Amino acid sequence: MAVATSTIEKIKNVVQNRHQYAQDWQKKNGGKLLGVFCTYVPEEIAYAAGVLPVRLLGSHEPQDVTEPYLFGMFCPFSRDVLAQGLKGRFSYLNGIAVAHTCMHINQAFESWSLHLPVERSLFVSMPSKVQSPRALPLLTGQMGIFKSEIEEWTGNKISDADLDRAIDVYNTNRRLMWEVYATRKAENPPITGLETMYVALAQQMMDKEEHSQLLRELLEELKTRKLDRNTGARLMILGSEDDDTEFLKMVEAVGATIVTDDHCTGTRYFWNEVERSGGNRLEDLANRYINRTPCPNRDWPGRVRFPRVLEMAKDYGVQGAIIIQQKFCDPHEADIPSLTAFLKKNGIPTLFLEFDVTVPVGQFRIRVEAFLETIGQEDLF
Amino acid sequence: MITAGIDMGAKTIKVVILKDGQIIGRGNVFSGFETRESAEEALRLALDEAGLTLKDIQTIYATGAGRKEAPHAVNDITEVGADARGIFNLFPKVRTLIDVGAEEGRGIKCSAEGKVIDFVVNEKCAAGAGSFTESMARALEVSLEDFGKISLTSNKEIPMNAQCAVFAESEVVSLIHAKTPKADIAKSVHDAIASRIISMVRRVGIDQEVALIGGVAYNVGFVDALKRGLESDVIIPENPEYIGALGAALAAAENTN
Amino acid sequence: MATKEIKRYKSKPFDCWKLAKEIRANHYREIAESRTEGGKKLLIGGGTESMIGLPAGLGDYVFFGGEPYSASFSAGSPQGAVECMEATESYGLARDLCSYFRNYVGSLLLNKYYFGGPFPKADFYLQTHFCDTHGKWYQLVSEMVGVPYFSTDLVPYRWDETEEGKKQKLEFLSGQLLDAIEWMEKTTGREYQDELLIEAVKNEMRSTSLWAQCAQLNQNIPAAMDEKSMYSFYILAVLMRHKPEVVRFYEILLDEMKDRVANQIAAVPTERFRLLHDSQPPWYALHIFRYLEKFGVACVGANYEYGLSGGWDYKEGEYLRPAKPLQDQGWPLKTREDACRALAYWWLEYHVLARGIRFSGPGKNNLVMKEIKDWNCDGLMIHLNRGCEGLATGQMEIRLALTEAGIPVMTYEGNVGDPREFDEPRTLARIDAFMESVGLDMIED
Repeated sequence: MAVATSTIEKIKNVVQNRHQYAQDWQKKNGGKLLGVFCTYVPEEIAYAAGVLPVRLLGSHEPQDVTEPYLFGMFCPFSRDVLAQGLKGRFSYLNGIAVAHTCMHINQAFESWSLHLPVERSLFVSMPSKVQSPRALPLLTGQMGIFKSEIEEWTGNKISDADLDRAIDVYNTNRRLMWEVYATRKAENPPITGLETMYVALAQQMMDKEEHSQLLRELLEELKTRKLDRNTGARLMILGSEDDDTEFLKMVEAVGATIVTDDHCTGTRYFWNEVERSGGNRLEDLANRYINRTPCPNRDWPGRVRFPRVLEMAKDYGVQGAIIIQQKFCDPHEADIPSLTAFLKKNGIPTLFLEFDVTVPVGQFRIRVEAFLETIGQEDLF
Repeated sequence: MITAGIDMGAKTIKVVILKDGQIIGRGNVFSGFETRESAEEALRLALDEAGLTLKDIQTIYATGAGRKEAPHAVNDITEVGADARGIFNLFPKVRTLIDVGAEEGRGIKCSAEGKVIDFVVNEKCAAGAGSFTESMARALEVSLEDFGKISLTSNKEIPMNAQCAVFAESEVVSLIHAKTPKADIAKSVHDAIASRIISMVRRVGIDQEVALIGGVAYNVGFVDALKRGLESDVIIPENPEYIGALGAALAAAENTN
Repeated sequence: MATKEIKRYKSKPFDCWKLAKEIRANHYREIAESRTEGGKKLLIGGGTESMIGLPAGLGDYVFFGGEPYSASFSAGSPQGAVECMEATESYGLARDLCSYFRNYVGSLLLNKYYFGGPFPKADFYLQTHFCDTHGKWYQLVSEMVGVPYFSTDLVPYRWDETEEGKKQKLEFLSGQLLDAIEWMEKTTGREYQDELLIEAVKNEMRSTSLWAQCAQLNQNIPAAMDEKSMYSFYILAVLMRHKPEVVRFYEILLDEMKDRVANQIAAVPTERFRLLHDSQPPWYALHIFRYLEKFGVACVGANYEYGLSGGWDYKEGEYLRPAKPLQDQGWPLKTREDACRALAYWWLEYHVLARGIRFSGPGKNNLVMKEIKDWNCDGLMIHLNRGCEGLATGQMEIRLALTEAGIPVMTYEGNVGDPREFDEPRTLARIDAFMESVGLDMIED
């Protein structure tokens, strides 16, 4: 039996009581709450104005409320998120924001904005061709507009010092998160993939300063923590949005440990820090979002995502990858054959699973177990 | 005036004989491969009940998926129109009509005059209509009637995929293997289908009074799930599977001088 | 309604329909011929919703557009299209991906060109990220074929874009067009002639403006064009709007449209109910429009075929009208920079369909309402199109907005390119039910 880490319990508690956390934060700090639909929103700017960005996620419950607004052919996650709004679970939010990532989540944003009361709905036209040098001036400009809109909404002028402070808080948080991830490189990681998922989810819901404090406590505990379980096969998960804790629990119960990931609610969120050039802060911020591991919608004409996935896989001693594909997501789906071939060529077998709001855990277990067997066989020879 | 309506459904054919606004005969036969023969059989049953022969009927209208194949019909109307006419005759206060049959689920928004204002039919992604319930009952090795009844004995909430019938079936198989009690699985299936139907009907808006017709209205488990999901009561006419045929018979009467 | 009470308009086929067909056939022949031994013509592949005229400065080339290819394939040989899609499924591409993408990649995998012979492989691919899938499509194809690839990013104006935002986006796009030209020069080793680009850009603006004028004339009651003729005409702008023969064609068509309007010549002689369509049609099932005609229903157009190549000047709450080519608005068009700036502006300012692909909400709802009003439509027919996410963006909200405004709307589910996702009997049953609900019987002939 693993030693119960009170920090992980604290973190899990935030995730499971996310709405309470946000409202408590507002009572304590007085700032506005901004629902964020995607990890490309430049949160630092909002934070600099005293706003708490709150990541919107689904609930994995089947729902019957989005059909009049968003047709069933769009990704289950975007519909699940909209359902949370329509069911009033996020009624405490003051504003919402999205950066253009995809037509699916954009529609959830537009419908939310149209049918639910919000003080502001903010859109950042995030370029998709981050590989073009022209992306930097556009995104810098868009950040400027976002900054003005946040200032106008909150009535708080964002000074250079405010922005510096926000960037510092976010950078520190990202750095600490990587330290937590780094502990998983060990032969027997002191933290499971499931536990790390909670840490990553909490990160997107919390004030980064508070989260960093928990990370520091966690890192202390991880120094001596020993898990009473077999690490088994070392896996990574790849995909779009994924926060299916039930699924992860199952995978780690059948002889595997998730040691790292590449997906929207995982490393893509905190991938890189804002590098200070000493010049235009908004440009520095724009560079950060341009250089982070891209969502496939941003990963063309060349491929930046694939080599990074491979590098991370090697770094973490990954033996196999589970691709978690949200139904209906075109950009991720377009990458699958090439990604699978690329990883296979580099010695990393993959298992492909199609996800919806709920999943047939039993059927998936069979596939995961079979996958683990094949990885095991390769080890033998 | 005596008219008849033939509902050439995907799975069953229903006939209603109407005399001066009163139903005097009914017939219900499996469609099978030879739908015209089955329709004749259903007509025969209805005529027997009414104590009439075919030539006593002035006008016959058809409706249903196979309405163009109906014998003796001089005209046909769509299922949507027939449903609306049928329910208006019995319960004119209905504004949202839900029809769940073997293959299809429909939501119809009715005006105060009984006209169809808007309608929606289930799209490809749906946890299915009656057929899905039947196959799930078979998987659990219970009769369809019992399947609905036992679901009422459970108070568990096991979320099930309400978008894709194939996924949902996969999940049911998982639950069976995990030795989940049949009652709980049954409830889960009914909740999922009701959720799918409600989701679809929301497109036309849910206004009181709400009515449910079609064969699946006999499934007490589904009805319970529907009421809970809608958070409202639901009118279920007697012989709910005949409402389409009734509507066709009424249309026939309207157009006979 | 008895037949004798139905008003019948004069009707006749379009004189220029044959010419349109020829131009299109020539184009596909050119593509095949560019691959023959010794062909000096460059074959450039990509989406037609992109900067197809940009390579003009390289000299002789033909642009092989993926979307019209896939559409033709689905329309002409649905079974063949299914084989292509099955090939992509074996390859590992999801079935719910853009069906144009799958049809094209499947053709490449099977080495099967719908118009005969092996599947044409381009010298390089040039694309515009018109939707979330476009940029990825040719990334995969160029990897499979093993040739270079460049794509520009289209970040359209939002419906309520600020002046500052417009400036940023215009810089972004025009800058990328210049980058694309430099890349093409390097990749092909050819010298780039700016005058050719300027001509191509002028032609593009002229073609699309002319087609918009033709589309606008369809507001007339009765409508002169039906869906089938519209598809034969709009496709030329899609394929070759940068070419002078297309400009000439639309001039001819515009004259014929004016004539038909003046003489009340209808596409559907029994027109008594006008529908606007939404999204592409199911190409393998165009006869559903003929079915509608049995009720005296004319499908008078869609944002899709009217707006696919741009050319509309839209100000919400005020007007929706054909855009005036920039050469007629006094824009300087003397240099490469001028041309790129003009093309970028033309796209951002006047391509309202592109805007609607990314941005839905009230902006898109209001555009559709305006189209319903201007084209004198009695209702909207929405194709819930599983094969194209971009055009399906916001469809349910459009439906809601129109229904709340008392405008009859019907929806039918399908897929622009994949016939397996279309249920014809069900669709016809829905049309029947919709016709009943708006009080229209089939007209007996």
